[in-house]
Amino acid sequence: MDLYQPYTARNHGLALVPEPGDRAGGLAPWSGHPRIAVYTGGGSSHSWLWLVEIFERLGFWDLVFADEIDVARGALDQVQVLAVSGGDTFGMARALGPRGAAGLESFLRAGGLYLGSCAGAYLPLNSSKEPLNLFNWVPAKITNLSRHLPRARQMPQKFCTPYGCSYVFHPVREETVLEPTGLAPFGVGQSLRAPLYGGPAMIASGEVEVLATYQGFSERTRFLVDPELARQTLLGRAAVIRSRLGRGCLYLFGPHFEHPGYAEANRLVAEAIYHDLARTGWPGRQAAAAEVPRPLEPGVLRDLRRQVSNARVVALGLEDHPARWRIGRKLYEPAKFRVFCEALWQRLRSRRGALPLAGDPEAVEALTAAWRAIAEGLRALKRELALEQDTQARAEALFSAINRATADFMDIYFRNAYRRLTAPAPFRPDPAPGRRLPTGDRQRRQA
Amino acid sequence: MEFLSSDNVGVLDLATGEVSEDELAEDLVAEKIGGAAINAYLYEQHQDADPVVLGSGLLTGTLVPGTSLGLMSAKSPLTGALCHVPIVQYAGMELKYSGFDYLVLRGKAPEPSLVWIHDGIADVEPAGDLWGQDVWQTVDAIRSNMGDEMIQVLAVGPAAERGSSLAAVMNNFWPGADRFALGKALAERNIKAIAIRGMGLLEVAEDEDFVERCVELLAKVKEGAWAGKQGFADLAEAMGRPEAGGWLQPLIHRSRASFNVPFAYNSFAMIEGDPSVLTEPDIDEPGVLVSDPLGAMALQELGLGAAEAAGLLRDCAKDGLDAANLAALCQAQGKTDAAAISAALADIDGEVAAPSGPFSPWAPAQPLLADFGESGDAWWQRRQAVAYIMGLDPIFALMSPELSEEVLVEMAALGTELDITAETLDQAVSSLLG
Repeated sequence: MDLYQPYTARNHGLALVPEPGDRAGGLAPWSGHPRIAVYTGGGSSHSWLWLVEIFERLGFWDLVFADEIDVARGALDQVQVLAVSGGDTFGMARALGPRGAAGLESFLRAGGLYLGSCAGAYLPLNSSKEPLNLFNWVPAKITNLSRHLPRARQMPQKFCTPYGCSYVFHPVREETVLEPTGLAPFGVGQSLRAPLYGGPAMIASGEVEVLATYQGFSERTRFLVDPELARQTLLGRAAVIRSRLGRGCLYLFGPHFEHPGYAEANRLVAEAIYHDLARTGWPGRQAAAAEVPRPLEPGVLRDLRRQVSNARVVALGLEDHPARWRIGRKLYEPAKFRVFCEALWQRLRSRRGALPLAGDPEAVEALTAAWRAIAEGLRALKRELALEQDTQARAEALFSAINRATADFMDIYFRNAYRRLTAPAPFRPDPAPGRRLPTGDRQRRQA
Repeated sequence: MEFLSSDNVGVLDLATGEVSEDELAEDLVAEKIGGAAINAYLYEQHQDADPVVLGSGLLTGTLVPGTSLGLMSAKSPLTGALCHVPIVQYAGMELKYSGFDYLVLRGKAPEPSLVWIHDGIADVEPAGDLWGQDVWQTVDAIRSNMGDEMIQVLAVGPAAERGSSLAAVMNNFWPGADRFALGKALAERNIKAIAIRGMGLLEVAEDEDFVERCVELLAKVKEGAWAGKQGFADLAEAMGRPEAGGWLQPLIHRSRASFNVPFAYNSFAMIEGDPSVLTEPDIDEPGVLVSDPLGAMALQELGLGAAEAAGLLRDCAKDGLDAANLAALCQAQGKTDAAAISAALADIDGEVAAPSGPFSPWAPAQPLLADFGESGDAWWQRRQAVAYIMGLDPIFALMSPELSEEVLVEMAALGTELDITAETLDQAVSSLLG
C-alpha cells in the first residue's frame, strides 16, 4: 500500500484552495497548502535532502530553502513551517547566531511550526553552552550525556561529540523501535521504526508532551556502546516531544522520522504539520505568484545535466576512498558528495515529458556554472587524494558549494513544481515532476 | 522503448559537437531486436556522413549469462564495407548503461578529440594533448582528468595516427576485438578516444520471471563442458592448440572474465616478475592481458618465445596495433625476430587479409568445449550474428549451446514484453548476413 498517496492527494487538493491572503491580523486555523522552509545553512549535513524527498512524496511542494542569511533576512516571515534536519548543532547555532535566533523565536511566537530532527532536535533544547543558549525554548534534558565517556564498541569517530566538560554519546545507530504514547497527532498505534544517527533521547519537563518513546531495538540496530548501557540510556525515554512557544509549536524528533526508508514515520511528520497548523494558524503569508513557467530551451537543461553528471561520475569514483574530513564537529566521508549529486540527478534524468525546471534560464545557467566548478573541484580533489596531499580546505569548500548549489536547484525545482500544481488544469504536471514513475511489474505490485 | 533500454538514440555531429536525440522506437526493436542489426540500420540512415555507430545488444548488461557486448559499426578501411567490431570486457556493459542505446557519430571533428559519453550526454572535447600519446598514457590521462577509474576507454594509439592498416581500437589498456582497422577509421575522424561511463538503470518488463530464468540459465550453462576450466590454456586446448596453451602457461598470473561472462578467457601474462606470486607486484607495467587469444597464437606461429610474444603484445597494446594482423604481415615478410619487430613497429605496414564477413574473426571460427550439433563457416556466421544482435560475448557464444536462439528470443520477449519471435531473429540475422 502506498502510504504517501492520500497525503499527496490531500496536499495537491489544498494547493488549489484560494489563499487566505490578508486576514487583518486575525488568526484562524490554516487550511491551505503550507509553505515549508527547509534549513540548508551552516551546520546542516546532507540529511535535509531526506526532508526534500519525503515532502515531495507527501505532496508538500511549496518548499523554500533557507540558510542562515535567509533566516536573518526574514525568510521565515513567509512560511508556516521550518524543518531542520541533522548535522552539527553547534555549527547551526553558530551560523544562525543572535539574529537567526531572534528570527526563529519571532517565527515561533507568531504561530510558526518547527520540525527538528537529530541536530535540529538538539538545537532548541535548553542549554547553558554558547551559542546553544540562544535557542533555549524547550525544557527537556537529554539522557545521552555523560561526564565519563563510555567505551565505543564500533565507529569510535562517530559515537560521541564533546559538550563542555561532558560528552553527548550515541548509544546506537540505524534502526530503533518506537512506541507512540497516545497523544495527538500520533495517537495510539502500533510501534513504528525510524533510524537514529546521533539524535537525542529526552526527558521532558513542564508542559512538554511526549509523543513517542524508544521501545526497543531491531536486527538493524548497531550498538556503538555496551547494549545494556544503550538500553538504560534510550528505552522508555522520549524519542519525540512537542512543546509550545507563544502561538507556535516545536516537534523534536530524536530519530530521523524524515528518513525516506521509513514511510510510517514519514506519515507522522505530515500528521504533525496538519495538526498544529490547524490549531495555530499563521497570518503572515503572501500569495505566491501563479504564472505558468515557460519551458527552458533543451540546451540550457542539457548543460546543467552535463555538469551534474560530470560531478556524479567523480563522486562515484570517490565513494570508497578512505579519506575523512572533520568539518565543525561532524565527520564527513567522500560518499556524501554523491548523495547531493544523486538528489539532483533523480530529478534531472528525465529528458522528455514534464520538465522539472522551467521559467528562469539565467538562474539555471548560474546553477550550471556552479556545478561545473563543483565537477572541476571534485576532479582536483581526487587528484590531490591520489597524491596524498592535504585536502581539508578543498573538501570543506566543496561540501559548502555542493550544499548551496543543491539548495539552489531545489529552490528552482519546487518553485516550478508548485506553480505548475496551482496553474490552470492543462499545465498541471504529473504526480512527481520530472521523476520517472513506476512501470511494468513494479507498478502493478504497488497497485 | 520502455524496457531494457535508455530509450535514447543520439546523433552526434563531430564537426559541431551538436547532439540530437530521439526515442528508440519499439517498432524498430520489434523488427531488428538490437545490437548490430540496429547499428546497421542506423548506419544506412546516416550513410551520407560515413558514420561510426555505437550500440549494444538488446540483452547486454542484463543477468542473462555472457551478455557483455557492445558494438562499433562502421565502414572498414580494410574491406570498404560495413563491419561490426565487438566492444568487450566491461566497455559494452558501460555503453549499455551510458544513457544511449545507440549513438551515431557523424562527420569529422575539426581537431583531435575525445568523445565523452555519460548519463545520456555525448560531448566532443578537445584532445590535442592526447594526440601522439600511446594508448596506456591516453587511458591514464582520461581517467585522471575525468576523475574515475571505472571509465571505459576505447582508444587509438600512434599506429592509427600514422594511418596504419594494422591500427585497431583498444579496450582500455588491452587489445580489443578489432580486426577491421577501425582504429584507423577513428583517427581519420580525429577521434583519439571514446570514453564511456554507464551509471544508468534499465527496467525489465517481467522482472521477477526474468531474473528467475537468468538464475536457471546460469546454473545450466555452468554445467557446460568448460566447467572448472579457465584462461588462455584451456581455450587453446579447446581450439585444438594445446601447444599454444602450454607455451604461454608459464607466464600466466591470473585469468579474468568479461562482464557477466562465466568463462574467464582473458589471461594476464606476467613478463616481469614471478607469475606464481599473486600479490600486486611493485613493477609498474609487469605484463599484458591476453584478451586477443588468436593474436597471441599468431605470434607463437612466428616462432617467438612466450615472453617475447607477450612483450610484443604489450607493445601492440600501447601502439594500438592489431597483433594478429601484425603477425600475419611479419610472417609474409619473413620477420621473426621479436626485438627487430618491436623496434620497427612504426614502420611495419602493408596489405593484410581482410575478414570475409561483417563480424570480427577475433572469435575462433569453431565451437569451443561444446557441441552445437553443427559447425562450419555458415554456422559460425549465424552464431556470431545472433550474439551481435542479442549482446552475447562472441567467444562465450561459441561455448554455450544452452543459450540457444530459442532461449535468447524467450529472454528478449520476457525482458521487453515485445512480440519477439524466432522469426524476428531470423529476419534480423538475415539483414546482417544478406
